[in-house]
Amino acid sequence: MSEPLPATGPKAAPTGVIHDIGYRHYEGPRLGRGHALAALTLHSLRGVFGLGRAARGKIMPFLLAGAMMLPAVVSIAIMALVKQQAIPYAGYTVTMQAVLAVFLAAQSPYLVAPDLRFRVLPLYLSRPTTTADYVVAKLSAMAIALFLLMAVPLTVLYLGELLVDLPGPPHTHDYIAAMVISIVYAVLLSAVGVALASFTPRRGLGVAAVIAVYLLTSAISGVLVGVLSSVSRDSAATWAWLINPFFLVDAVQVWIFGTRPNNDGGYPPGVGGPVAALAVLVIIALGVTALVLRYRKAASS
Amino acid sequence: MNSVVAGITYRAVLGRRRVFLLLLLPLVLIGLALLLRAVGSTDERATVTLMQVYAIGTMLPLLGLIAGTGTIAPEIDDGTIIHLLSKPISRPVIATTKFAVAASMLALFAAVPTFIAAYLLIGDEAGIASGFAVGALVGGIAYAAVFLLLGVVTRHAVTIGIIYAVVWENLIGGYVPGARNFSIQQWAQTFAAQITTSGFFKATVGMGFAVPAVLIVTIGSVVWAGQRLRSLSLTGDA
Repeated sequence: MSEPLPATGPKAAPTGVIHDIGYRHYEGPRLGRGHALAALTLHSLRGVFGLGRAARGKIMPFLLAGAMMLPAVVSIAIMALVKQQAIPYAGYTVTMQAVLAVFLAAQSPYLVAPDLRFRVLPLYLSRPTTTADYVVAKLSAMAIALFLLMAVPLTVLYLGELLVDLPGPPHTHDYIAAMVISIVYAVLLSAVGVALASFTPRRGLGVAAVIAVYLLTSAISGVLVGVLSSVSRDSAATWAWLINPFFLVDAVQVWIFGTRPNNDGGYPPGVGGPVAALAVLVIIALGVTALVLRYRKAASS
Repeated sequence: MNSVVAGITYRAVLGRRRVFLLLLLPLVLIGLALLLRAVGSTDERATVTLMQVYAIGTMLPLLGLIAGTGTIAPEIDDGTIIHLLSKPISRPVIATTKFAVAASMLALFAAVPTFIAAYLLIGDEAGIASGFAVGALVGGIAYAAVFLLLGVVTRHAVTIGIIYAVVWENLIGGYVPGARNFSIQQWAQTFAAQITTSGFFKATVGMGFAVPAVLIVTIGSVVWAGQRLRSLSLTGDA
């Protein structure tokens, strides 16, 4: 654009003029790339929960967030009545994995599909935002949303435990462990979900693709565990659990924090924990790489 | 039935990226069957587990969702359905044709691979292969009809569909026995149990409930979808 136009002749008159027709100019501060990134993240996060969208868009996320809260509320009631812990902190996410998976599947296409479908990506990229910024903003919006979905019930549960004042010390270690692992869950799930959803501009197909991958892994893991333990190959069965992403992260939690495994039969001892942690990192890296490549291509088309 | 509408629908569903998902799920089923064969778990119990957990419990609802909503929801989403609706074809015929396409996809991508996977493991011992193939076929037809209706009724068909399949059938159905009566995959298992004689498999819903339920749900959904198409409004959705 900065190149001078080739001279068409000495007498070529200017063919177009930009008139100043008196629009007011923007004279405020230009906040730059970091601010644009923060604004896009916040906008996307609000969008995940349907804020700023029509009432119909709010039903699904809040219904699922409410479903996540339900066991915490019931558990506090049980604690108050029988003075006994009902749901362990470490098992909360694994118990509610279906709800989280549905939330991820239902909401991650919303984050990426409309921008691809209506081809508005160049509008974002004509600002200081880069493709990497866009990917980071969308990923962190989903990760923060998922983290909130897990952290709020856990915190309510912990506050409830403190208020009910169970006999014995409070389970602070378990609570902190669950909160830290929630971050791992949030990053892993959002990397996979958003990456899968970004490959189709159709929202319905994106939803189906994300839930299909979750159900595939959980069913493969379920079949293998069922068959392997029925023929008493228990050590192989402990590995088969790791195919399901939720149990994979749970294995990391068991390895790092020494909590009790939330499946029947435990996870592979010894090398299992580090392998699970490595697998989590590899999956996150693959998801992010796929997203960056996808948007590099989408931005140029 | 209208062959032109059917042809267009086949092309729309089988074209592009949707077909990857339609192929991936049955290929994983056959892959799992080969894996179990390789590790030597080729008994009735392993086969029934594979069929119940994967073929009927996971693959069938997912394929039903992709094929059932895929035949009509993208067109409504795009607004291109208006070209189809403005032709002198009765709307119930359009709905019936779309349903027939979805049901045939499920027969091809769900029932046939189910038979192949079970046959790979134990042949046709105890009627497991044919039983579950029939179950997948019947369940697939019911899923196709229900998800087609969902696609006509709401823009969030896929999300509502997965909530039904994952939360209602698998999560709530796992804890609350009464919920299993209203679960298409349990009806599919009832049909499978009629044919197989395996001792490792028992259906929870009786044949006297499952047969009328499948008929009412399938026919009711297709008829209702046809009626809905007669007064379809294409409104935006933010």
